[in-house]
Amino acid sequence: MASQPQKLAYVDGKLGAPTSGQQTTRVLFNTIEVPGTTSSLIFFRNFQGLTNGQTNLTQNKLDSMESMVIKTIYLLQLSSAGICREFGGTVQQTCSIIVGNQTVVKNLPIQFAAGESAQVFDRLHENAGVRTTQVVEGTATAQTIMPSEIRLLTDIVIPPQVAFEVRIDSNGGAYETGAVVCALAGYGKIFSAGNSF
Amino acid sequence: MITAQDKILHVANKLGLTSLKDMQASTGAVYDVDTDLSGQIFSNAARHQNPSITNINENQFEVNEALLVETIAFYCLSAGGDVTNFQQQYGSNAVILFDLVIGNKRVMKDTPVFAAGSPYCFANAGNKDRTIGEDVASTFIPRHQIFMEGAGILIPPQVQWYVQYTVFNIITGAVIAPIEAKQIGCYLFGTKVLLNFNTTI
Repeated sequence: MASQPQKLAYVDGKLGAPTSGQQTTRVLFNTIEVPGTTSSLIFFRNFQGLTNGQTNLTQNKLDSMESMVIKTIYLLQLSSAGICREFGGTVQQTCSIIVGNQTVVKNLPIQFAAGESAQVFDRLHENAGVRTTQVVEGTATAQTIMPSEIRLLTDIVIPPQVAFEVRIDSNGGAYETGAVVCALAGYGKIFSAGNSF
Repeated sequence: MITAQDKILHVANKLGLTSLKDMQASTGAVYDVDTDLSGQIFSNAARHQNPSITNINENQFEVNEALLVETIAFYCLSAGGDVTNFQQQYGSNAVILFDLVIGNKRVMKDTPVFAAGSPYCFANAGNKDRTIGEDVASTFIPRHQIFMEGAGILIPPQVQWYVQYTVFNIITGAVIAPIEAKQIGCYLFGTKVLLNFNTTI
């Protein structure tokens, strides 16, 4: 089985992308403010008005000397009071990742990794959330729900200078009026002028 | 798959550290807390009490000691010296955005650690907090860690390093100023090389 560095080196080599650079662990994230109830969320499309605490990119592509492997998709929903909620409520939703003009993850259901179903795909999760009948309204420092996270079995490469986005589709997910966050985590390379540490 | 030891030896060879291969391989962690609320961790370790705040005397390793960083985690230190959870102090809507700088090079770039629980933690609870018999929910105490599964990063001997961080409110995007009673701490964990005057293992 190819490791994340091997996969990235293979794809970068096929594309003629630079293979030098500082190896690192990379997490890209993007926030949508006040999402409300909607049937479609598109992450990594709008960066206008977002601060460094809401996204760590300024455009929906990596720099010319950077690339990364996506190993984990992470979705977080916060109410306006800062309380972590089930992503999209409890309705079924699907996630797609588009890199360039190609859909590389297609309609992957995410509700199994959220909230009360606790039927996540892999065995590494203890559970995704917990509810008791005694739940009282939470606070930002009392968290009863965990963010959703899906571990990909096939590593997905985002090459340099290629636009990408993450789409969440549903028949009316309730994302409330706080913020929703999508993070893509994995191994990556960042520009380095000299030798790597 | 390259092992941690392979990576250490590869980088040591690139840097001309010919004797590192003869040192004692081990497991180690370094930690420090931003007591100055300066947004930097480890850079002022020399002034910090050991071990209540840090376990290093300065933010560089001595000759022939090194650390391959494989896990980075953040926590809080209360005014009373208690080690606490970042989410419990700052709330689920906070995020730490950090860089790891070694020498004059940024090797981790704008990496987020979400208070609600970070990627790589497999949505797994760090712990659950519940008061038995009271009418309150079980609450998670999330993990705030980055597992560097693709490539660990080597801190070589005699090179200074530090973590630069800022705490933000995700919802508003505003910077959350460091709080004296909720100082941010960080540890770097991984394969360690310890100075040994004899041939090892």
